[in-house]
Amino acid sequence: MAEILTPERPVEKTPLKPEEELLVDRPKLSDWLELRLGWWGFVRKNLDEPMPPGVGWWQTLGNLLMTLLMFQFITGFALAMFYTPSAHDAYASVKHITEEVALGSFVRGLHVWGSTIIVIFTVLHILRVFFWGSYKKPRELTWLVGVVIFNVILGFSFTGYLLPWDQKAYWATVVGTRIAATIPVVGHDLLVLIRGGEEVGALTLTRFFALHVMLLPAALMGFMALHLFLVRKHHIAGPVLPQKGKPVPFYPVQLFKDAVVVLGGMGLVVYLALAFPPALEAIADPSGTDFAPRPEWYFLGLYELLKIMPAGWEVVATMIVPGLVSMGMLFLPWLDRSPSRHPARRQWVIVTGCAVVLLIGIMTLKGILETPPPGAHGHKAAALKGSAPSAEAVRQAAEPPATAP
Amino acid sequence: MSNEQPVSNSLIDSINDQPGPPRRKLLGWLVAGINLIVGGVVLGPVLGFLGSPLGRKTKGMWVPVLGLSEIQDGQTREASFTMQIKDGYALVDRKYTVFLHRSGEEVIAFDPACTHLGCRINWVGEKDRYFCPCHGGVFGKDGSVVSGPPPKPLEQHPVKVENGQIFVQKNV
Repeated sequence: MAEILTPERPVEKTPLKPEEELLVDRPKLSDWLELRLGWWGFVRKNLDEPMPPGVGWWQTLGNLLMTLLMFQFITGFALAMFYTPSAHDAYASVKHITEEVALGSFVRGLHVWGSTIIVIFTVLHILRVFFWGSYKKPRELTWLVGVVIFNVILGFSFTGYLLPWDQKAYWATVVGTRIAATIPVVGHDLLVLIRGGEEVGALTLTRFFALHVMLLPAALMGFMALHLFLVRKHHIAGPVLPQKGKPVPFYPVQLFKDAVVVLGGMGLVVYLALAFPPALEAIADPSGTDFAPRPEWYFLGLYELLKIMPAGWEVVATMIVPGLVSMGMLFLPWLDRSPSRHPARRQWVIVTGCAVVLLIGIMTLKGILETPPPGAHGHKAAALKGSAPSAEAVRQAAEPPATAP
Repeated sequence: MSNEQPVSNSLIDSINDQPGPPRRKLLGWLVAGINLIVGGVVLGPVLGFLGSPLGRKTKGMWVPVLGLSEIQDGQTREASFTMQIKDGYALVDRKYTVFLHRSGEEVIAFDPACTHLGCRINWVGEKDRYFCPCHGGVFGKDGSVVSGPPPKPLEQHPVKVENGQIFVQKNV
């Protein structure tokens, strides 16, 4: 293979016929490129990447995430061609995309559902690495960069949520940005910086748009390149207990598994985009009093935590708990000092990790069960489910109060 | 091969011509300094530009919201008004809502944002309470926290009554 692709001409020259001479002077494009780029060595190295025995389906998630993120870039680029990031026009442009542009609802659906599926598979990817202890030496930096990527993805989700400029988007951002204001001393200034003013308005939208389409994609690409470089440099960690057998090249067995999972993941996104087209609620109304803000479902755990914090303690839910979880994740390789990757030999880390996952799961589930579904006006749905603390009162609030104008 | 020799020779010569260690170090620092200046020239103004909303001053504007006769003594009601504000680059008519409570000739105006995380509160007359739909905050008719996570009472806007008209001061 290598001989064929190496674009050097034979040293021993035999007289060539004119047509043969012509052929040699015009090498194949791949040979021409090889001489200038040396790309085949790079491709070869990646295809030959040794996979330790025991590596299989669980190790396909990284490739799936990379592919899904790339598709987000493509669908996002397409949406940006029709979107206008101005408070005056944003809603109308998203409505136009959703209702009038050919395939608009589908492309937007791919983008919206893609973001949800990415969060789910990112969490699964993180959990796999966590339970396998794959973050241990020499892969600490790979883990750390991965945690940064996770936060970039959440940043995408938070900034993208505002862009349709409907009620859901507006009020989730009012509440989400107010979280920054709970930080002592600098909170208010931070709030103004994030919003571009005191209120969520035109400048909040342009800021979030700029972050969503410029800063975050650039950051994601840089960190993803570094993550991939580190994964290839230190190779895949393999199972916790080394299995018998020789490493096999990445191509074709593992690449095939990756392709199957990518097909399944994309199939899921396409199905969701077709079966559950993305909704668009009423246009953002800063004066409205009948809309219950509701964050994206994976922030609902945090939302629930905010409910149970007593007065004056909200900074615990907004900063301290998420901060501790983030710090714990970032510095996990240095917190877990045990040399063994086996879960039984690092019990406190596994128990703590399980407890955190369980608590987030329970809080998220509680949030999903208690928070009104999309499009529902807050108090009505909450009253129907009878779950909000003031359910009785809000049910009455659902009826037009006698005092209202 | 023969014509490659001079190239590599001149390369080695040029390496040998490198300045000595102290001079190299100095030049290294100078390069770092130049980079700092170049970076600062761009980043400084950009950060200042991004942080400009921090320097924006707000001022209180008096807005008529309701006739005094439209609210009974002891009553709480919602009132909306529209103000022209500068929202970034745009002049827009922004609708605001306040909750007015009248006791005698005195009127209090509460901001409808829950002091917890800014959700819009609802007034429930039968209970004489404000309820926040987000995290279960409950406020009394005087704006005080009755239960739930809000850390402080409802924010009040300055109110004045002139010629039977209620005016509310709103910072814009």
